Amino acid sequence: MSGSPSSIRKSPSHLSSTLQSKKSISFTEKGKETLKKGYAGATQSRMSVSRNLFILPEMKMTEKMNISSGKIVQVLDKNGVDVTPRPLYCPDPHAAKPNKLLSSQEGSLGSDFIASYSMYQNTINPSVMGQFTRSVLGSSTVSKSSISTTESIAGDLEEPYKGGKLASFTDLRVMRAAPETVLTKEDLEKNVEILLTETDTLRFFDLPTVMVSVESEDAEKVTQRNKKYEILCKNRLGNDLYVERMMQTFNGAPKNKDVQCDKIIMEDQGIMATTWDLYDSYSALELSSLAVKRSAIESSSKASVLPRERDQRLLGSTTDKNSEASSLMDIENVILTKVHEDEEDHADAILKSDKFLQDLFFMERVIMENIFQPKLAAYRQLPVLKEPEPEEPKEFLEGEKVGEVEEEVKKEEEEEIEINAEQSTIPANLERLWSFSCDLTKGLNVSSLAWNKINPDLLAVGYGHFGFKEQKRGLACCWSIKNPMWPERVYPSPYGVTAVDFSIGTPNLLAVGYYNGTIMIYNVQSSNNVPVLDSSESPQKHLGPVWQLQWIEQDRGTTGDDKREFLVSISADGRISKWVIRKGLYCHDLMRLKRTTAGSNVKGGDKEKKGEALLSRQAPGMCFAFHPKDTNIYLTGTEEGHIHKCSCSYNEQYLETYRGHKGPVYKVTWNPFCPDIFLSCSADWGVIIWQQENLQPLLSFYPTTHVVYDITWSPKSSYIFAAANESRVEIWDLHVSILDPLIVNVANPGIKFTTVLFAKHTDCLLVGDSDGQVAVYELRNMPSASDSGRGDIINTLLGSKSNQPG
Amino acid sequence: MIRKTEVEETLKRIQSHKGVIGTMVVNAEGIPIRTTLDNSTTVQYAGLLHQLTIKAKSTIRDIDPQNDLTFLRIRSKKHEIMVAPDKEYLLIVIQNPCE
Repeated sequence: MSGSPSSIRKSPSHLSSTLQSKKSISFTEKGKETLKKGYAGATQSRMSVSRNLFILPEMKMTEKMNISSGKIVQVLDKNGVDVTPRPLYCPDPHAAKPNKLLSSQEGSLGSDFIASYSMYQNTINPSVMGQFTRSVLGSSTVSKSSISTTESIAGDLEEPYKGGKLASFTDLRVMRAAPETVLTKEDLEKNVEILLTETDTLRFFDLPTVMVSVESEDAEKVTQRNKKYEILCKNRLGNDLYVERMMQTFNGAPKNKDVQCDKIIMEDQGIMATTWDLYDSYSALELSSLAVKRSAIESSSKASVLPRERDQRLLGSTTDKNSEASSLMDIENVILTKVHEDEEDHADAILKSDKFLQDLFFMERVIMENIFQPKLAAYRQLPVLKEPEPEEPKEFLEGEKVGEVEEEVKKEEEEEIEINAEQSTIPANLERLWSFSCDLTKGLNVSSLAWNKINPDLLAVGYGHFGFKEQKRGLACCWSIKNPMWPERVYPSPYGVTAVDFSIGTPNLLAVGYYNGTIMIYNVQSSNNVPVLDSSESPQKHLGPVWQLQWIEQDRGTTGDDKREFLVSISADGRISKWVIRKGLYCHDLMRLKRTTAGSNVKGGDKEKKGEALLSRQAPGMCFAFHPKDTNIYLTGTEEGHIHKCSCSYNEQYLETYRGHKGPVYKVTWNPFCPDIFLSCSADWGVIIWQQENLQPLLSFYPTTHVVYDITWSPKSSYIFAAANESRVEIWDLHVSILDPLIVNVANPGIKFTTVLFAKHTDCLLVGDSDGQVAVYELRNMPSASDSGRGDIINTLLGSKSNQPG
Repeated sequence: MIRKTEVEETLKRIQSHKGVIGTMVVNAEGIPIRTTLDNSTTVQYAGLLHQLTIKAKSTIRDIDPQNDLTFLRIRSKKHEIMVAPDKEYLLIVIQNPCE
């Protein structure tokens, strides 16, 4: 009997006998225990294979057991005993039952629980079915445990009569499920009575301890039992009383359950808080308050614009194209064209922006620097970067400017090789660095050069022919050292430019004198070509070419002004004029150059001036030079060949007249170090050094049979000056020799050198020629005189024999 | 309009200077606006230089947030790449220095 419930297995043959025996037993038992036990129902289980065998105490004690509903087949053995195999699975016939059971309870709803419990195991315990555990459970999660508990209980109940634990029927505490009915407001307001009662303690699991304290009461018994067991085990081996037998336990078919949740997509987001980011955020916070005000205004204007054009996209740069859209057009077309135009617009906007122009400007200069790096470095007297790869000197030289004449290249090759070979023993020479030239200036004659007073890199060049027959268009350009290939500013004009000069007080003003006598003043800071001031409407404008312009700063102690600056010009109509910028150019004549009679000169007695038909009483002035220390005194050279010393105080008479030249005096310059010496050059091939008090020339040079167009003193040494005649450029060093020039640089055939200018802070010389090029030469290996700045050059010169003009 | 001709002239001059291999103007998305090289090269240069410019700018501003990057020059064995960066565009010129 002990094994009877557990021996119910799948074999039906056993079933019947056991059933029967069981039945007999069970029923009687049932009879006893019905009062004790109640109905128990397992809780609702979702995964339930609900099986229960329900035995009602009211059931008649029939041989047959109507277990499952719908069971038809019955098997009877030879004795007529019903040996119908029990089904392994019984659906829950219990549906009706809860109502009955529950009706006795208060406030319970049938929906709350279904008396069924699932069993994964195939063991059928019909006797067990009689008892159901109805446990109090509120959630489905606990249902699993309930299954296990019921199983365990079922396991326990396998030996129900051995006093296993039985779940007792306890008071129901039914969990009220979410009510299906809609609660009305009154329902909510109603007071609901809920009765709570305490259940008895349910034991779900009890694992009795297998250890007993030695000091407890049962210790004695336990130890005795242990001893007995040991003896039993010992006796077991080889004992006939004990038979080994195998048993197989049914292992329940495990079921694997997998749960798969949705893939959790993870994204990493990071930001690096850089210093500038923080700075930007803080400054944006400060600006946001300002921006709010502005955006309010902007948005209102934009709102009015948008609906008119039906533009579906806000353009970052609103240009005129938007206004062209007519409201009658097909919307699609509008949008498509707008899309295309937007892109173009945006690209155009970029191209038109100021910043882009500026970037291009810088880029060009950077490129220039790359191209001209050795030259510019030599100019600025910086070390020249040399690329590590060796290149032949030819290639090296070929990498020079565009438009260079082949002969010059060869000459430079020779120079270059020469220089590389013997650095120490070669004499002073000019090394050509580069030349300012471009397509615009090709073919024009360079007539004047002037440095900017503030920016040592800015050079003004005037292009215009000297002779009357050769007159072409003219050009005034501003070149920068940083870009030798394209001028920064270009001021074209139909007349040739004959003089340029930068202002001292306002260094952005450039005065340009033209062949037709007009003077224009340009502001080089602005990029348009319109002059600021123009003298062409002035009634006192010059009638002949303006041969020289200079800005003079003069102390006007009487009027109380600090330093007033005015422009002085000399022109072929014989006037030296002073221009002052008030409202426009206001002219005032400083001097009218009159023709002087050569009465004192006996040689010229044949040519009696009186008898000549004088075309004008004025002598065309070619040049002037203000005394560096005393701006009241100035020298002026005329076409007659005379040099007059004049003063600003007298505008009728000359102070002195220096006669020495036989042709027009093209240039007069004071020595920057020695206040008494000045230099003049003329078309009679000669260069003459004068001393102020001496009316006769001090020294004269006739190096070639060419006209000397320009001369200039070196800013570094009082002995050095440069002269440009038609065929060559000469550098004279009076300290070294007064007979021969120190350096001679011969021009290419067909090109005349017309202007020279020294660079102020470097050892470089600028030479302009008749082809529109301004070449920059570096003076190399100049003899360094320790006393170059001396003012007593006279003593040196007087010490040597002075030449008389021949 | 005057501005535009000036820009065009300057661009043309730059392109014709000695040693200049290519000139590119790309907008902020890397789309070329004006270029003398082929499209694939342009896009490649634009993409790579854009990243480098951002890094360089970040470096400069990290040191001093009030400073900003104005020009970037990379000199390599074969040539020199010059970049003028801006918020909206990149002006890139590749030149072969004459030495």
